[in-house]
Amino acid sequence: MLETYKKQHAKTIIQYLVVDFNGQILETDNVLFDIKNEQNITNINPFFETLIPLLKSENEDYFFNCIHLHLNEKLITADISLKTFNKETYPLITIVDLTSHYKHYQTTAQVRNESVINSEVLELKNSYLKEKEEFKNRFIANFSHELRDPITGIITFSDILKNTQLNDEQLNYLQILKSSSNFLKKMVDDILDISRIEVGKLELTIKPFDIRSLIQDINANYSIRAKEKGLEYFSSIDEKLPAIVGGDALRLRQVLTNLLDNAIKFTEKGNITFNVSLNQIRAQKANVHFEITDTGIGIAPDKLESIFENFTQINNPLSFKGAGLGLAIVKYLVELTRSKISVKSSLGKGSIFSTNINFKIETSKKPHKKDKTLIKEIRSDKKFNILLVEDSEITQLSILKILAKKGQFFLDIVSNANDVIPRIESSEFDLVLMDIKLQDQWGDEIAKKIRKLPEREHKKVPIIALTAKVFSEDLKKYKKAGINDVIKKPFDEISLLNTIGKYLK
Amino acid sequence: MKISKKVVLIGHFGVGKSSLIRRFVENTFSDDYKVTIGVHIFKKSVPIPEEGKDVSLVIWDLEGNDDIRETRLSYLLGTNAYIYVFDVSRPTTYKDIDSDILYLKEKCPTAPIKIVGNKEDLLTKKQIGDLNEKIESFIDFFTSAKTGNKVDELFSKLALELINK
Repeated sequence: MLETYKKQHAKTIIQYLVVDFNGQILETDNVLFDIKNEQNITNINPFFETLIPLLKSENEDYFFNCIHLHLNEKLITADISLKTFNKETYPLITIVDLTSHYKHYQTTAQVRNESVINSEVLELKNSYLKEKEEFKNRFIANFSHELRDPITGIITFSDILKNTQLNDEQLNYLQILKSSSNFLKKMVDDILDISRIEVGKLELTIKPFDIRSLIQDINANYSIRAKEKGLEYFSSIDEKLPAIVGGDALRLRQVLTNLLDNAIKFTEKGNITFNVSLNQIRAQKANVHFEITDTGIGIAPDKLESIFENFTQINNPLSFKGAGLGLAIVKYLVELTRSKISVKSSLGKGSIFSTNINFKIETSKKPHKKDKTLIKEIRSDKKFNILLVEDSEITQLSILKILAKKGQFFLDIVSNANDVIPRIESSEFDLVLMDIKLQDQWGDEIAKKIRKLPEREHKKVPIIALTAKVFSEDLKKYKKAGINDVIKKPFDEISLLNTIGKYLK
Repeated sequence: MKISKKVVLIGHFGVGKSSLIRRFVENTFSDDYKVTIGVHIFKKSVPIPEEGKDVSLVIWDLEGNDDIRETRLSYLLGTNAYIYVFDVSRPTTYKDIDSDILYLKEKCPTAPIKIVGNKEDLLTKKQIGDLNEKIESFIDFFTSAKTGNKVDELFSKLALELINK
């Protein structure tokens, strides 16, 4: 019974062929396809050409699985085997039709391969996008740096011009020039910050600072600005607020001024209120609540989410100036402090932006107080030799004008990085002002070379970097290169003279 | 006497081996991906005007594998030449190229191997240039089965090489 079934089954799916040593068919049962004796197996399908050289081997078994054969308009998928014997016995070819079995296997492989390929392609697309994004951020960062020198020129010469004899009309124009360049400077700073944020390189620098005087300073500025626009300005500082806290004063100021800038920008009448209160003190940490309220145009509920995205201005961008980066920066900076920025708004009535930020309570450390509005005089009759390494003519001229006005300095200017070492070796300088991004070399690399010079005074000469690259990793790099201090570009007369003054006695 | 040569296309799955053959044999292309299991065998006669002869290429389209060492050895019996195909847009398909080529040379030291980066239409010229620098093995052709770019050249050059062997 079993033999009968086996024979019946084999009869439908297996074809046997006996061939001579050249592939000519001697005998076949034509179960799967019809072929006449005396034809060559190579006429069945090109596959059989591979068998021809093997037919003369002796006592070998060859197996070929899953071979697709087109046979008289029929397509089958078969396992094919070749058995050779001795020189007197002709080889046997067996073709087993396993089409339905392999069809199932095909479906499984199709699903598996498609899923692997799709995930690989997706991963690749993501990496291309990331690369593109990084390129964009690098481009923005470099481009913004390039804008610093001309802005420094405008700001410096506006200051110099202010001290010349000008009539009222000219003073008015100068004021416009100054405020335009300040606005431009702010935009460049914002764009730089965003490009740093997007590559995750913006970090907080935690130091003790006087939070009360920071807020008072902001209030002093913004009450004037609100008044200029015809708005009332109210502010309050909680008396329980600790005087000295640990935090990033620069970035806190940036968050608060961005929010206040926005409040004033989008309010045409009414008032701006800035409240600072202490939520709680726990585990040597003060949780401080900042709230800025305006009576401006407000934000529609469906737009509240998108206002913190880059380059977003939900209102007509023609009516309001700016790149739309301020709130994106605020959100990121607040999140860096592990806090959140909240907004409540009513269209046509106004908005409330608030956040709660933790600060470390500092009891022992006193912040270093600097008066940034006064030029400290250098008390010396001596004239100081200063070497300026700078390839931007605008910056060269700006520094020359500022220093020349004081009459206390001899300025030697070098534009080419290769000339620095020979010049230092041939003269005695009291201080070196070093641009960081020169055309053919980095300023910090030159500083390293200066520190390696054999003469002792070269190891001691103060080197001050002139640069827009002032993030924490940059500052560490400069310090390691032997640079004593940094003047941030764009700079003004006060910051230049006061920084130089620290090193000249 | 008619000259017949066995050419095996080998490489990862989804790199376009079947598409290259379809473009060469039938001059057609489909964006639909259909997995090859086992092997399909095609035959095409290639004229070699330089020699005044025709070569009959018996082309074996092997199923793709993550690792070509998993390829059934019987498929490689009597191979006269290999075309190793990778997908220029998927690094996983060319990351093992150097060791794969060594493996093929071990298995069949006399058979020439052509290395082909397929789907070149998906990358820019610069990206192709960067890729060419990145891969140590010499890439013989960057092809596109979709546009037909360099497909005929690949098989013609191989046929000429085989007739002179």
